[in-house]
Parts: sequence; structure tokens; C-alpha cells
Amino acid sequence: MAQTWDAIIIGGGHNGLVTAAYLARAGRRVLVLERRYRVGGAAVSEEIYPGFKFSVFSYVVSLLRPEIIRDLDLPRHGLEILPLESTVTPMDNGDYLAVWGDPDKTRREIYRHSPRDAEAMVEFGRLMHHMAQAVKPILGMIPPDPTSLSPRDLLGLLKLGRHFRSLGPEHVHALYKLMTMSSADYLDEWYETDVLKATKSASGIIGTFLGPRSPGTAYVLLHHYMGEIDGSFRAWGFAKGGTGAISESIAGAARRFGVEIRTDAPVTRVLLKRGRAMGVVLENGEELRARTVVSSLDPHRTFLELVGEPELPEDFVSDIRRYKFRGSSGKVNLALDELPNFTCMPGVGPHLRGAISVSPSVDYLERAYDDAKYGEFSRHPYMDVIIPSMIDPHMAPPGKHVMSIFVQYAPYNITGGWTDAKREAFGDTVVDTLARYAPNLKQAILHRQVITPADIERITGLTEGNIFQGELALHQLFFLRPAPRWAKYRTPIRRLYQCGSGTHPGGGIMGASGRLAALRILGDGR
Amino acid sequence: MTREVIVIGGGVNGLVTAAYLAKAGIPVQVLEARGTPGGLAGTEEVMPGFRSDVAGLDAGWLLPDIADHLKLGAAGLELVVPEASVFSPQPDGRALTLWTDPTRTAEEIARFSAEDARRWPAFTAQLARFARVLEAVYAVTPPRIPDARGRDFATLLGLGRRLRGLGRREMVEFLRVAAMSVAEWLDDWFATDALKGAVGAGGVTRILQGPRSAGTAFVLLHHHVGRPAGAVRSAQLVKGGLGALARALTDVAKGFGAEIRTSAPVREIVVRDGRTIGVALETGEHIAARRVVSSADPRRTMCGLVPAAHLDPEFVRAINNIRYRGAVATVHLALGELPHFTSRPADGALRAAITVAPSLDYLERAYDDAKYGGVSRQPFLEARIPTLLDPSLAPPRQHLMTVQVQYAPYHLRGGVWDAAARERLADSVVASLGNYAPNLHTSVLARHVVTPKDLEERFGLTEGHPYHGEMTLDQIVFMRPVAGWARYRTPIKGLFLCGAGTHPGGGLAGAPGRNAAHELLLKEGRR
Repeated sequence: MAQTWDAIIIGGGHNGLVTAAYLARAGRRVLVLERRYRVGGAAVSEEIYPGFKFSVFSYVVSLLRPEIIRDLDLPRHGLEILPLESTVTPMDNGDYLAVWGDPDKTRREIYRHSPRDAEAMVEFGRLMHHMAQAVKPILGMIPPDPTSLSPRDLLGLLKLGRHFRSLGPEHVHALYKLMTMSSADYLDEWYETDVLKATKSASGIIGTFLGPRSPGTAYVLLHHYMGEIDGSFRAWGFAKGGTGAISESIAGAARRFGVEIRTDAPVTRVLLKRGRAMGVVLENGEELRARTVVSSLDPHRTFLELVGEPELPEDFVSDIRRYKFRGSSGKVNLALDELPNFTCMPGVGPHLRGAISVSPSVDYLERAYDDAKYGEFSRHPYMDVIIPSMIDPHMAPPGKHVMSIFVQYAPYNITGGWTDAKREAFGDTVVDTLARYAPNLKQAILHRQVITPADIERITGLTEGNIFQGELALHQLFFLRPAPRWAKYRTPIRRLYQCGSGTHPGGGIMGASGRLAALRILGDGR
Repeated sequence: MTREVIVIGGGVNGLVTAAYLAKAGIPVQVLEARGTPGGLAGTEEVMPGFRSDVAGLDAGWLLPDIADHLKLGAAGLELVVPEASVFSPQPDGRALTLWTDPTRTAEEIARFSAEDARRWPAFTAQLARFARVLEAVYAVTPPRIPDARGRDFATLLGLGRRLRGLGRREMVEFLRVAAMSVAEWLDDWFATDALKGAVGAGGVTRILQGPRSAGTAFVLLHHHVGRPAGAVRSAQLVKGGLGALARALTDVAKGFGAEIRTSAPVREIVVRDGRTIGVALETGEHIAARRVVSSADPRRTMCGLVPAAHLDPEFVRAINNIRYRGAVATVHLALGELPHFTSRPADGALRAAITVAPSLDYLERAYDDAKYGGVSRQPFLEARIPTLLDPSLAPPRQHLMTVQVQYAPYHLRGGVWDAAARERLADSVVASLGNYAPNLHTSVLARHVVTPKDLEERFGLTEGHPYHGEMTLDQIVFMRPVAGWARYRTPIKGLFLCGAGTHPGGGLAGAPGRNAAHELLLKEGRR
């Protein structure tokens, strides 16, 4: 009989690793099982083309919780976050809109487009700061169940009520509007410059199957404002060595606490005995036993595949079945012979060390969504482009570059399904669209990697390729994520917990789900 | 002489407020700009020999407690709920009819899908349960959130109990559904496009959103408050047209002692030291009053009638941020004969809302056009033939059809609502309905188009929205009309709001007026 672990974590993505590290830090004997040859899940750096390192999927970081960085001492394990300094949006008339790291410079730039907006920006920034502060404690709390009368839940609700009261009516009302409005409507209340509204609302649509005019996107906008690097809000960064370095640093910390990590170890099912999780079964038939099993996979994989419907209450199964994924984003990674030369800002400049946003107008984004709504990839997609090698030269050979293009919309359920031909057509559309703003792009391409939601699903296992393990829609948040009554990291199976982004607060390289799950497991005395 | 209370606007809500106040013994005068009271609830001769409710089909649902309380039945009000709620002809030549009787509807649905038919009763039951929770929310003045105080706690507790009364699972389901899109909700339940289109249409009624927009499931719930359980998208019609409702309300209010003055447009709400002291009419006449209650929409009241100098710019900003965005036009068709639908409607089916919304995608595409400031090329239509109920509205053997057309946005991009645009709209309506009832093309005698622009000009409705602001999640309950001012009061002392722009909003005839009157009476210590 093999040894018994205190906890087995299924999946070595960032949340799984965070849970593992926290449990081991508290003295538990922990084993992490990763299906692929390396840890990281969707946060990996890989050399797809000789000499060029790509953050294949997730490519920027800002949401990683500071307490996790602190608790796990991640910088010691190699985590270094380099700031992304700017966002530049090329416009169709040859002009551009830039947002720089320096607020004064940004103000002058916005003033050029609209003096009124330059003024509004100050107040808007202040409000978003307050809103992010207001939401922060909620992100750090295990969601209480409003239907429960247990003392723990009532206490949680009371705490929540007190929190809202302490915020005051003005901020609560502003927060409520953010939760319910579309980012386009919300921004209309503040700004008049279309390209500015478009660029800001773009962060509201990332990872969702919604357009900027869809209610609920204003919240996602806030979700992306909550990033926090060295305490400054709305600072996006790039991990030195690519996104994989984040996973590696968490894995390093976990190992230091004694976690064992096994790669190439796909789990096929959770071992159950009388409704309790006893361990897991690997693809090679090996059985591993543990007192607690934690899945960092998405709710579909965890419950419908690893556990199986017959083992679960009927209501719960139907809740999990209707939990929405609807992957909507793709990725194009390019190895470049030379830097792109943007017509609106020719030559090499600081703009190449930041993000280039292809979001010329709100209508542009909305039309991109229309295509996807009816089952096609956007003919003119939204893109968020960065050139990691400009920030971290080790990502590419000297003089060469890597470019990471996040693309939306590419619906998982594309009409006729994703084929190789369609993938290439999608890649062509992306390159063609970007080349309109940087004409030398096409001839500079040495290698192109196109990733569709179907590829994301195939490679990382994320259902329908949804990068957040389920849409960040209002009805899939907080005590509803992933299912009512089971939003507290526990599951209907005793001794089985969930810790992925499919639980509160979900989404992005945040690690909060992993940490809260660990706290819950430890709190349960497991 | 200083009057006790002046009500600005003699529409349904203004009249209800006046009636409730007068009933409690408060002297009240209603000032109506037009020649007859009723506002939108007016039946006019829209084309020679054809009378119709100008702005559309219904003033929304009149809650039974208002009718009872004000004894509107005794005043001659006759409400009719047709047995058929929705008659939805399909492109494949079939038609789907939703009846108030769920069993009959299920039989109807079974022709499309046995599984959907099986699920129908459970769906209607859930819809009714959730609507009843909303009904409780709608019966009270919205509590202050999060700074609840005084009786807010009792209100919140009461509503909490109500919600808990659903049981654990349904309680969460209610919260979940309220935040969803109507498309997602219906996708959870049904597979038939025809059914989802016919029901989902109720989720986008009078809102510039498509069925895939979050919050539209709430809109569907909203339109089921007070309605009979088991019936989906049923309608309540007033015999004799909406004008009859206005007449009944006028009579009742007068009976309680309210004074109703017509042709008396208000120019200004007079404010001194932050308190209203009365109103000034267009004629220059001043009427002094202790309190003024405005049933005009919030923007018109606060930014049109109250001089700007008296208001905090932040408040004005919030009022200006209310989204109105009228999205519905009405096309009145004078018909030489009844339309013959090729799908052979059952007896009584044509008394329903004849709905062109064959699928959720159809509705979504109609919305797509409007998103970019255009009129839907394939609009969502809802037609009624009021002459089936009351033949006197048209010359003998002739008929009148009123068609609600959505989306026909107030803000047209790169165009205006000129004669050509109206003709195009009427053409597209006749063409669309003509697909299902070919004789329509030749039976149209005359057409009359009412756009959101017309509603604004003729009835003073901002952006032509009869609900005084869209019923979206960010504009309801404690956010209606604006955050912090959802209790019928305004920053001007003595000035109250009682129109559809206040909680619980549009589509519920008189409910805001009733709530506002309650609030005023509480303040007066009369309740």
C-alpha cells in the first residue's frame, strides 16, 4: 500500500500551486499532479520557436494578490515583475491615443483629444481607486451563503453588510452601477472621446462573450482595474522570463515548503468511497490516496469528468451543467525579425515597451462581438498587443523579438467547428488587421503560432477555452460561483475541495481562489 | 391662497396620486397641459373615423389593489384579459399561440416540442413565484441602501422574509435569474426557437437592449408583476381604450374632491430658499402651494421645470445620466378587412398581441441595427386589433390595428424622423406582417406613425420613453430615478415625484403614483 498524502492537488496551474504552497506551509504533506510536462497551466513560458520564448497563453499580470507574493516570498523564488509603461491605441485617421505611466503626460495627451476628458480622467481614476478598494475585501473573503442560517454564514453576511455601510451610499451606488451597467454606458457618463472609451471598455470585454454595450461588462472593467503592483492600482506588468516564471516561482515556494510536484501525471478520476474522496486514479492506473483531494480544474472537468454525475446530487449537476464557459478569446504569438513600425508612432519608442490596443472605436469592438454572436470570429478583432522582448530582452535572440497578441472574439462554438484552415484564416485576419497599423509586420514574421479557444481547451484543459474557468458574468460571481451553496470551495463530495478560477473570485493570474481554498481547507481542520 | 398640493401632469400616475391624496382628505389640484386628462392614456381619432390609443396598446398592468382601493370598477372601468396572450406566426407557416391557460398553451407548444411542453407549467410557476416577490418589492418605498434607517429596516426585513419564503433553492434562483439575460434564462428551459422568441420578446420590451443582454430576464419578470399565475405575457386591456381608464380615474379623483384643471401647462416650479412655493404656468399665472408633486419624467421635472440655480450640479449630472432612449414606434393601420393569417389562428387568437419575434436571434438582430443608431430592418412587432374588442373604434366592418415597432430608436444616427423615415417604417411593418397575412397589403386604408420623437413633442416624454427611463438593473428600485433619491422626494423641499420615472417604474399603471401618495401621506402623518 502506497503512502497516504494529507492533500493531493489536481492540476499544477497557479491556483493549484498556491493552494499546495499554503497547505504545505501549514505543515501538510502535499502532492501536486500535473497532466502536462510542466507546471503552470495557462501561465507558462515555452520555446515554441528556437531561441524565442513565449508566454503562450496568459501574458500579463496585475491581479496577483500581494499577500500571496508576501506569504510565499515569491521574489526569492525568482518572481520579478517589470512594469508595462503605456497603452497606445492607433486610430484610423493616423492619429493615436496614448496612456502613459506618467499621469501628467497622460493628462496632456488626453487634453489633446478633449480637455473635458482630461479633467474627467482625474475624477474617474479616483472613483475607480475607491471602487477597487471597496471590492478588495470582498475578493479576500469566502462568500457567505445568503440562503443559509448557519452562524458562520450569518456572520459573513453581517460583515458584508457592515462593509457596505462603511463605504457610504455614494460608493455603494457607484459600485452597484458598475456591477449592472455596460462598460460603454458607464464610460459615456464620464467621457466623450470615442477612442478613449473604446480602449477603456476593451478591458471590460476581455475573456467574456459580451460586447462593450452588454450590461455586466462595467464590472469586468473594474476587475481589470484591481491590479496591484507595489500598491499602485491599474498597473499591469510583465513577469521577467514570461508568465511561466510566475508559476515557477510559486512552484519553487511550494517545493521549499515540502510540496512534491509530479508532472506528466494526468488524473482520470477522483477515487470515491461511500461519497467521500479517498484519493485519485492516474491515467496509468496508479491509485494515490489522500485525506483531502483538491481540484484546481474547472467545474466541468472536476465534477462531470473526474467525479461523475451519478455520484452527485441532481440539482448540483444541473447547476454545473448550466455554468457558462463560452470561450471567446484567441492568441497569436509571433517571432519577429524586426520591430513593428507603427504608422501613427514611427520608429522605436517607449510605446513599444507597453501595450498596443487595437480598439479604435466602441462600435469597432461591438461589431467584433456581433460576428462572434452569430458564430464567426471577428472580421476586425480587438487586439491587445505587447512585445515582451522589449521589456525582457532574454525572451528573444539579440535584435529579434517576440510579439504576443491577445485577440477577441474567437468563439469556441464557431460555425462548423475549428479546423486547421479556419485557424490559419483567423491568424491571417489578426496579422492583416494589425498590419494596417504597422505595415512592416508581415515581412518581419519568422514564426507564427495561432491559438484558438479549441486549442486552449486541448492544451490546457480549460473547458471551451475560457481563460477564466467560466465567464465573469454577474450571475456567476461571488456566492454563485460556480454553483449556489457550493461557492465556498467545498463540494457535495466530502473531502473534495475546489480551488480553481471557477470559484470566487476567479479569473486572471490572481491566486485568490487558491489561497481562499487553502484557508477553507485548513479552517475545516483538514 | 396657498394650495395644499399641486400635481403636475394628469396622466395615469398623476391622477392616481391625486385620487389617493384627495381620498385621504388633502385638497389637491392637478394641472394638465393638454385639453383632456390622461396623458398617454388617451384615445384619439388617429385617422378619420378610426380612434386609437395614441402611444400604443396599453398603459401597462393596473394592479388590482389600486383598482379596488379607488373603486375604479364602480366608476365604469372594465378591464379585459384576453384568453390569448401572444399569437406568434412563424416563417414556416405555423403559428404559436400562448394562452392564459397554461394547459392549453402546453398543448400548443407540444406541436413544436414535447419536451418544452412538459417544462412549460414549471416555467410559468417559477415566473409567477418570482413576479410575486417583485410585487412585494414594488409595493413599498425603496429602503435606503446601504444607509438604511428607521422604517427601512422593517421594509428590508419584510422583503427578506418574502425572499426566504421561496425556499433556499428558489431564492438563489431568483437572485441569479434577475441578473441574467432573458436568452440565457430561456435557454436553460427550452429548445424551441418560436417559443423562446415569443416569450423572450417580453424581456426586451421598451429597452434598447437585445435578449442576450444581462438584465433582460428581470424585464420579463417586471412585466409579470400582478398578472395571473400561469399566464405568460398576458395583457390587460381597457374596454373603450385607455381613454376610459383616464376618465374613470378623473371621475374618482374628482369624487374625492380633487380639482383637475386642463390646458394649464406648467412653465416653472417656483423655488425659494431650497423649498418649492408653487408653480408658474405658461400664461404667467402663479399658483402658490405647500407641496408640488410632479408626474412628469425626472429630467423634465428637475432640468426643465426647476431652475438650474437651485440644484447641486452632481444631482443634475445624475439626472442627465438617466438613460431614456425611446426605442419603440407605433404604426396605426386602418384596415378595410381583418388580416387573414395563413397559419389559421384559432378562435380568439387574434385578440392576443400578434407578435413577430420568431426567435431570440431575430430579436437580437433587430437590436443589432439599433445599436448603431438604425431602425431594425427586421423589427420586432407587436400588433393588436382593438376593434375586435370594441368595434366602435372604427367604421362598421372596418378594423384598426396598432403595431408596436421595436427597435425604432429616438436617436437616429445620420438621419432624422422625417416623413420619409416614417413612410419607410410603415412600409416595413406592412411588409413584415404581410408575410404572414398576405391580404394586409391590399386592406390598408390609411396609416399613422407615432415615433419616439412624436411622443416627446406631444407628451413631453424625454426621448419618447413612456416609462420615463429604461427599466434596466441600474435604474430600478433604490436607483430610480437616481441613487439616493428613490423615495419620491427631491433635493427641493416640498417637491415630490410620482411618475413612471420613480419606483417601481413603467408598465405598471399607477403603481408609482400610489407609492408616492403613500410616502406623502406618511410625511403628513395621515397614514
